[in-house]
Amino acid sequence: MLVLEKIAARLQVLFEWINRVNLFVCCCALVVLIVTFGWLVLGRYVLNATPTWVEQLALVLIVYITFLASASGVFEDRHLGMAFLRDATPSFIRRPLVFITRVAIAVFGYVMMTGSLELFEFGWATKLPMLNIPESIRTLPVIICGGLMFVFAASQALAELLNTSAKLISKNIGE
Amino acid sequence: MGLAILLGVFGVSIVIGIPVAFAMGLAAAATFAFEGFPALLTFQRIISGVSVFSLLAIPFFIFAGELMLHGGLALRLVRFASALVGRVRGGLATVNIFSSMLFGGISGSAIADISALGSLIIPAMKEKGYRGDYAVNVTVTSSIAGVVIPPSHNMIIFAVAAGGGISISELFLAGVIPGILMCILLAIAAYILAVKAGYPAEPFPGFAFVLTAAAAALPGLFTAVIIVGGVLSGVFTVTESGAFGAIYAFVLTALVYRSLSWKAFVECLLSAVRTTSVVMILIGCASAFAYLLAFYQVPKLMTDTLLGISDNPIMILIMLNVILLALGMIMDMAALILICTPIFLPIAASIGMDPVQFGIMMLVNLGLGLCTPPVGTCLFVGCAVGKVPIEKALRTIWPFYLAMLVALILVTFIPSVSMFLPSLLE
Repeated sequence: MLVLEKIAARLQVLFEWINRVNLFVCCCALVVLIVTFGWLVLGRYVLNATPTWVEQLALVLIVYITFLASASGVFEDRHLGMAFLRDATPSFIRRPLVFITRVAIAVFGYVMMTGSLELFEFGWATKLPMLNIPESIRTLPVIICGGLMFVFAASQALAELLNTSAKLISKNIGE
Repeated sequence: MGLAILLGVFGVSIVIGIPVAFAMGLAAAATFAFEGFPALLTFQRIISGVSVFSLLAIPFFIFAGELMLHGGLALRLVRFASALVGRVRGGLATVNIFSSMLFGGISGSAIADISALGSLIIPAMKEKGYRGDYAVNVTVTSSIAGVVIPPSHNMIIFAVAAGGGISISELFLAGVIPGILMCILLAIAAYILAVKAGYPAEPFPGFAFVLTAAAAALPGLFTAVIIVGGVLSGVFTVTESGAFGAIYAFVLTALVYRSLSWKAFVECLLSAVRTTSVVMILIGCASAFAYLLAFYQVPKLMTDTLLGISDNPIMILIMLNVILLALGMIMDMAALILICTPIFLPIAASIGMDPVQFGIMMLVNLGLGLCTPPVGTCLFVGCAVGKVPIEKALRTIWPFYLAMLVALILVTFIPSVSMFLPSLLE
């Protein structure tokens, strides 16, 4: 049990770093989005030379921000949900429900990763207009998001399980 | 059977506490699998739901709101509002409502409104002898104006959920009168309660102070003018005006007010990224979910069912409002806009209601849900900021609920309340 807890603690540190890097990339993407769009407005209305690639780039960046930060949302547990019903139940019902919730998110993450991998392969030959990069670049953050969601939610489910087991063991020792 | 899987998986997922976005995604993935479609179709729908040009305005609005929240605009707005309307009985409550109206017009977020203004005004009100629950209730209910007064990213979500055929300029214009009306009704409720409780009026600070306060607040208020004015005049698209508004807000708070530290800037970026992802993933998953709802003709089924109960437009509008109010109590606004718009908009259209009026009615209605438990995000934030127990705030919030209900009734049954300004555009 102690070994498992040590591994879990180390994984938690690793996940926190991944989460920070993930959010850093999203913040950079947001800055680029705002700056390039400012450039678009300036180009269109002042310089009379519209940088047409900005719109396509913006559509790629928003997919990166959405999906990468969504994976962080799973780690930080801040997605919108109706947890009040579950939270109103007694502990012996709530704990399994929390576990099921984590597992369901992990399953969704896994399906997202594999489904998007197919999309990634499918879109490699197609180029995004104006940017001239493969369409699959847009699918990449969805694969990463699915993978991270799977890892984060599965580790949370495992932590929930370990926590429950630890409580049961300490209860038995106490008795 | 496919529809049963879609609604069944979604319903069970929601009840056990799976986040709404993933509940919709799981339900859509399970239904696509049942229908024999490849798994990639679900994620293709989700990606295309996110990659919509007008949705790019959402991160811009959110970031501009965050800059205003952390960049010291709230204090300037409160000073300006205090100088203008502080002299009535219970002056700080009126200042609170008026500030919310102005701040809502800039940030478009009820939560940002409560966080920024609540932390300034609630302690000030308590210090002057106002009850904590009264201060919290005024702050929480007036923050809803931010949802209706343009620019509001919820209006963009509604326009997208409605299929993209609704003009965002019209929605922006349509929200102005209902937002002001809501604030006036709340101010009346606050005044009556203030007279009853004997709360004081603020002394007039003098014309020089009014002018100084106006000069300090006007550059901030100009953010709303840029965004809304840019869209309405047709000079900018909503996305361009959002980007321009965000850049203006940055220049204003960092270079003109000099109140934005590097730490606060990073905080603004992180907060904007987090909020954007929560909203956008909802929109993406709702896109796949709505695709299947349309595939199974759910909007038509719902229209036939409701029209089967009654074909009286007034009854249908009452039913729609009751359903939305009930749903608004248990689910968050953005999720409900995305789920309910494709289902309820055809019903409203079948009784001759303008989609723009329906959108504003929906926003006011769901705004009320933000102040009601068990999922009243604004109420919870307001109580946390004001350090007042939720039960205590709920005991005295009824006059404010009543004021908002009156606003909802007026928006629902008098089309010109929301449609007068858009009709001028035509």
